[in-house]
Amino acid sequence: MVEFDVPEVDYTRYTNRQLAAVPLALLAVSLLVIAGWTVVTGSPVNPGLDFTGGTELRIALDSPDGQAREEIQAAFSAEPESIRSVPSDGTYIVTFQSGAATTSEIEQQAEAAGFQIRSIDAVSAAFGGETQQQALLGVVVAFLGMSVLVFLMFRTFVPSIAVVISAFSDIVIPIALMNLLGIELSLGTVAALLMIIGYSVDSDILLNNHILRRSGDFYESTYRAMRTGVTMTLTSIAAMIVMTVVATLFGISLLAAIGTVLVFGLTADLINTYLLNLSLLRWYKFEGVAR
Amino acid sequence: MGTIRDNWRILLLVVVLIASTFALFSPTVNAGESAGGAGTASEGITNLQYGLELSGGTRIRAPLVGVTAEEVEVDTADSRDVAREVAAELDAADPSDVIVRSTTQTTATVEVTAEGVTTQQLGSTLDSLGYSYGSVREGVTEPTRAEVVRVLENKINEAGLSGGTVQQVTTATGGHFILVEVPNEDRSDVVDLVESRGSVRVDIYYRENGTQTTREGVLTGDDFQNIGTAQESERGPFVPVTVRDQAAEDFQAAVVETGVAQPGGTTCTYEQNPAGTQPCLLVIVDDQVVNSFGMSPGLAQSMSSGSWADDPGFQLTTRNFSEAQTVSINLRAGELPARLDLEGEDGGTSSFISPSQGESFKTDSVITGIIAVLAVAGVVFVRYGEAKVALPMIVTAFSEVLILLGFAAGIGYALNLPAIAGFIAVIGTGVDDLIIIADEVMAEGDVSSRRIFQSRFKKAFWVIGAAAATTVIAMSPLAVLSLGDLQGFAIFTILGVLVGVLLTRPAYGDILRVLLTEDR
Repeated sequence: MVEFDVPEVDYTRYTNRQLAAVPLALLAVSLLVIAGWTVVTGSPVNPGLDFTGGTELRIALDSPDGQAREEIQAAFSAEPESIRSVPSDGTYIVTFQSGAATTSEIEQQAEAAGFQIRSIDAVSAAFGGETQQQALLGVVVAFLGMSVLVFLMFRTFVPSIAVVISAFSDIVIPIALMNLLGIELSLGTVAALLMIIGYSVDSDILLNNHILRRSGDFYESTYRAMRTGVTMTLTSIAAMIVMTVVATLFGISLLAAIGTVLVFGLTADLINTYLLNLSLLRWYKFEGVAR
Repeated sequence: MGTIRDNWRILLLVVVLIASTFALFSPTVNAGESAGGAGTASEGITNLQYGLELSGGTRIRAPLVGVTAEEVEVDTADSRDVAREVAAELDAADPSDVIVRSTTQTTATVEVTAEGVTTQQLGSTLDSLGYSYGSVREGVTEPTRAEVVRVLENKINEAGLSGGTVQQVTTATGGHFILVEVPNEDRSDVVDLVESRGSVRVDIYYRENGTQTTREGVLTGDDFQNIGTAQESERGPFVPVTVRDQAAEDFQAAVVETGVAQPGGTTCTYEQNPAGTQPCLLVIVDDQVVNSFGMSPGLAQSMSSGSWADDPGFQLTTRNFSEAQTVSINLRAGELPARLDLEGEDGGTSSFISPSQGESFKTDSVITGIIAVLAVAGVVFVRYGEAKVALPMIVTAFSEVLILLGFAAGIGYALNLPAIAGFIAVIGTGVDDLIIIADEVMAEGDVSSRRIFQSRFKKAFWVIGAAAATTVIAMSPLAVLSLGDLQGFAIFTILGVLVGVLLTRPAYGDILRVLLTEDR
């Protein structure tokens, strides 16, 4: 049987500054992307149907792809915002912006055109706005709650803030990537962002715990924490990549969105935990405490 | 005895697993339709219930149309008079659109449930009528919402839509919505059913002083005592009804007075020739004339002799059978005090999933979950290369899912897509924790002594507990906020973490101990 083991990184070759530079640069770039996005589009992320309101229709029709799109365009009086095809079952997901037409009109037009309606989702603009506020509130409360808990667990500033900064960066990097890759913020992606808080703190706590609470050499503790932590994160990434690929093929967009964002977040977490968090801990252990 | 005491965690896990399996598969546990609540459908070999997303159906979540003035000083005035005054001042509102509810001896709330009436209009109307009031706001009062829920439930039952549910939901920001879920039904059908106010009345259309006039509401919904189901006869579809004694006398008098019950009966030509028709009875549903008819000579005879009121049976005839059904449903369910706002800017949300789409979501998401578990298992096997460690790990992770599924089946929770995503997330965190335990226990070579095993397991458990606590904290906003279906995701993630920390992970520790340590 093939065995893989987490390679031992020779951290002594790099200074704390060098280690922290990579994740901090990533964080800075991500924040810039989000700030730029806010300036240009007026919103830090592209809000999806759940938050802006609108109508999403999933229909089945018996036509080759190019022709199907034309038929869909022709069938509705309002211009569809997007038409996506789901290859696994030959359906199309058509979205309309809020206010383009009432859902009942869209439903009637789809029926009149002979499309088989597989699903309809309609969200009013005001309802979407309220959902957006609540989702934002949820993420903020979750993050603050996590921070308080981490401080209570470690009761020292540097290790605690290291965990909190890592978690923050774990959320910010996927958001920036979502913007760049055109993934909209949906209820699914909000759930994924909250999940990232849970997942990301796991490996950070593990690392902090090994270094602060165990006797033994710093690098030895680090290596042991890494061996466990990297395995954990890789397992989760494997699960999420598979979930994303399969759900995309099946056109289950909620599962695909959760999976994609978690893959980003977990990958960011690998970088943040073992470069940023670790460098802060090393500084704390060798210089911060001594001072 | 010693073995039982040492391995009680494993035993407990086995007991819980058996209980879960029982809840999941035993036909005796079937929580049935009642416990399931929200639009569920139980099917297949398991007792699992599936939400609309996985079984097909329509869900509508919408606010009610209306504005409300609180603490209106009405003194001793009759609330019906106040309603009539307010309605007369507002162009958009009929008396039936104004509800006055006394809150104390001298104050009441005034609700206007007509569309297009703003809070300012209601305020200035009350000002001009000389009523002082506390505040005006969007929305309706709690009793009105409760009545809407009751009427909609009746409508859904009367329409024979089994498994349909209606409930009130309140968002964290204080918004109130009515949530209607009906399995296996098209969106347009449900919208038609819940969107109409369902007011039914009978008018008399007759000639008075040479001009055609209408006497409105000679019979209204409240005047009917017994309402039959829609029936078909040679003369067309109809709904048999019995009129209440008091209303019967008045109706009989009105019919005779307006000439509907004239000797020889009447023939109605309201639709072909409204100007030249004999007196007609009109059936009005939601201000639309649904049917018009005259009176047979026999009935006219008993009306004018006054004997009809002793046995006040009556047939509301309609033009087609589905209209008869609508009339029957509306009369039985009652009139909605306020309408659902479905299409407006501030309106609600609706979703429809066809049963076939739900079915494919169900199989596809199960396949997705299984493949995700296999991926996790693959990584774990490759990492440890030792079946002794990896196999119990995978079995434990699976047992967590089995326990959660058993729990869902036991309480009749309707599974939806987010809940399934939650299961996959639980497998993720679960295996993470098992990896922590395995690594910690096997650090620095083999563990032969039980004492060393216990101390290492305790150390591992601190990390697991801390991680679990953060996950619970991170997910709890989602479980509390009303962000639609995501509640299911959050609830199952939290539940999974708790089951893991309290049950499966300690048991995995015991399993590892039995497999790895030598001294007993």
